[in-house]
Amino acid sequence: MSKVGLIISREYLTRVKKKSFIILTFLVPLIFAALMVLPVYLAIKTEKNTRVLVVDDNEYFINRFKENDHLTFSYRSGDIAQIKNEALDGEFDAVLYLPKNSQKMVANLYYKEEPSMGLCSDLESQIDNIFFDQMLRDSFNIDAEKFNTIKNASRAEITTLQIDDQGDEKESLAEMNKSIGMICGFFIYFFIFMFAGQVLRGVWEEKNNRIVEVLISSVKPIELLMGKIIGLALVGLTQFLMWVAFTFIILCGIQMAVPNLLNDSDTSSQMVAEMMNESQMAAEDTFDASTIFSDISNYFPISFSQLILCFLFFFLTGYLIYAALFAAVGSAADNETDSNQLTLPITMPLILTIVLIMPIANNPNGQLAFWLSMIPFTSPVAMLTRLPSGVPLWELLLSMTLMLVFFVLTVWFAAKVYRTGILMYGKKVTWKEIWKWLKY
Amino acid sequence: MNIVEVKNVTKRYSQHEALSDISLNIKKGIIYGLLGPNGAGKTTLIRILNQITAPDSGEVWFNGKILNRKDIEKVGYLPEERGLYKKMKIGEQAMYLAQLKGLTKNEAVEKLKYWFIKFGIESWWDRKVEELSKGMQQKVQFITTVVHEPEFLILDEPFSGLDPINTNLLKNEIHEMKAKGSTVIISTHNMNSVEEICDEICLINQAHKILEGNLAEIKQQFRENSYSICLANSSTAIDLPSSFQVLEENQQDNCKMLKVRILDDETANGLLQSVMRLGEVKAFNEILPSMNQIFIQQVEKYNQQHHE
Repeated sequence: MSKVGLIISREYLTRVKKKSFIILTFLVPLIFAALMVLPVYLAIKTEKNTRVLVVDDNEYFINRFKENDHLTFSYRSGDIAQIKNEALDGEFDAVLYLPKNSQKMVANLYYKEEPSMGLCSDLESQIDNIFFDQMLRDSFNIDAEKFNTIKNASRAEITTLQIDDQGDEKESLAEMNKSIGMICGFFIYFFIFMFAGQVLRGVWEEKNNRIVEVLISSVKPIELLMGKIIGLALVGLTQFLMWVAFTFIILCGIQMAVPNLLNDSDTSSQMVAEMMNESQMAAEDTFDASTIFSDISNYFPISFSQLILCFLFFFLTGYLIYAALFAAVGSAADNETDSNQLTLPITMPLILTIVLIMPIANNPNGQLAFWLSMIPFTSPVAMLTRLPSGVPLWELLLSMTLMLVFFVLTVWFAAKVYRTGILMYGKKVTWKEIWKWLKY
Repeated sequence: MNIVEVKNVTKRYSQHEALSDISLNIKKGIIYGLLGPNGAGKTTLIRILNQITAPDSGEVWFNGKILNRKDIEKVGYLPEERGLYKKMKIGEQAMYLAQLKGLTKNEAVEKLKYWFIKFGIESWWDRKVEELSKGMQQKVQFITTVVHEPEFLILDEPFSGLDPINTNLLKNEIHEMKAKGSTVIISTHNMNSVEEICDEICLINQAHKILEGNLAEIKQQFRENSYSICLANSSTAIDLPSSFQVLEENQQDNCKMLKVRILDDETANGLLQSVMRLGEVKAFNEILPSMNQIFIQQVEKYNQQHHE
């Protein structure tokens, strides 16, 4: 095995064998799957029929609650203290008590077994509406139906339509693309920081326990540097692919166990859809998984596999750039405070992109998004945020080319600094000093 | 035949000169002491020999050819600051370092087993470095330095932090390496061990070589023509001709100890004849300067000359 190969395999094996790596590998997919499945599960749980007994002292709520498949109402009047115990012991899941009040509506909900999540808000909005109608009629003498007609007519609605190169119109899911983009952006940000950070610590460790002198009396500094960076890149890829695979397996397992939960044939788009759709799901009144999933595969401007490939490309190049720079800094710094000072200028652009991720996602083809996705320091996060909304091919290719060119430059820079830095002890290193090392 | 020849090597760092026009010849199969005060440039020279850094000008020859990348596998290096991966198992670590020096996996296992058994540390194979004492780590580090049977061994302060037993063990190993034909460079501040094991030495001060050669010859060169004499039954006052200068005189039990320097053209025989008249000569030895004295004297002399 070549010497670089030896270094790569040591870096890879020592990290993959670590407990923290194994735990993370299994834990993250579980959390992920839980995040995806839980909202669906909760939505389904509400489908159980809940029977509510309404005790209304005002008497204008009688027979005015709207029922549906899983919510039925009965009405009774009398002393609440007596009724509630009787009812809850008997055929009702909850008792809604509306005490007499003409100014502000206050109500109590009694139950023994906790009712489904949406029940309270559902009841609240119904009480609101009924009370509102009542007030309209009593105080202003306006008919509720008339009012609703006016209200509905004046409500605006925007449908976003994306026109592709062939001139076809596509009903895009701008909101969803935005959230997919942001999640991708965050994800790549964490990934780059996590693994480039490990390179920094690795270099630092070798410098501090002085083994580096033994190592570079056997291999060239550049071989050591590349071995370390490549080894960790492989760790990152392994982790990422295992996460994707495990999440997939867990979701498939759940689907097999509970076929109704996620019923759609296209599993890959389903995963993304699931992932991104959580926020929308909660807002959805009637939840129908299958229609939403098929909607997504139609409207999503970039396929799931393309997204994964772009993710891998930008993760790898972004990681390599930051890892090389971090390695340079790690070699130059003697202690943690120094290395923090030196890393700050490097990490600023990346942090800045995360701060600007909302504006980028809101306007994925604007000036800010365009330029940030061209600058190699910021483009991994910015480009991934833009991608789900669709990016012109030339922009994507240009950004990728710039990444590759910049990568070569950073490795050259890092190799120079690293060579000098790892043998420099007891000296506070500044960026000015590092600049001088380039000329050695 | 020289295994290493350093020819007019100069190395500059931004603020100062670390090595200034240094030339050295290291004969094959000897133990060579590289001496000098802190900051003299020894580490820089060692790093150049290890190809960790390159000289600004000058050349290093190894086995009759200009030192190149392939020679790295023939060199073993024990740095002054010992270092191993703390969290890695000792066996794995030794395997890794041995393979980096060019051994195949099988060779590495075989040779490491031999050394681990030799040092009585087979049971440590699966232990982590952080569990070992400093002396134990030194043993492991030494093994990783010599496992690839280097022709040329560079030891930077090899005895620091070792107890007398391990120091002895290490000295024996160094002699054994020499007997097998390896050349050993030792950089140290411990002048006693230099006198004990080095064949040749080189003294570097402020980036310049100020002394080089065979240890015994150097000691001869710096002898001060003084002798220590032990006189018994001497009751008379010490009265010697003016060409003999008495440096020290003291009474020990019933012996009188004298330290005398011979001036002018007088000889040791003349001195012996003179002292014989004063009593019974029990011992008569030439005082050779210790390496320690030579070191201090030469460095101070150089510093004074270059200070003015």
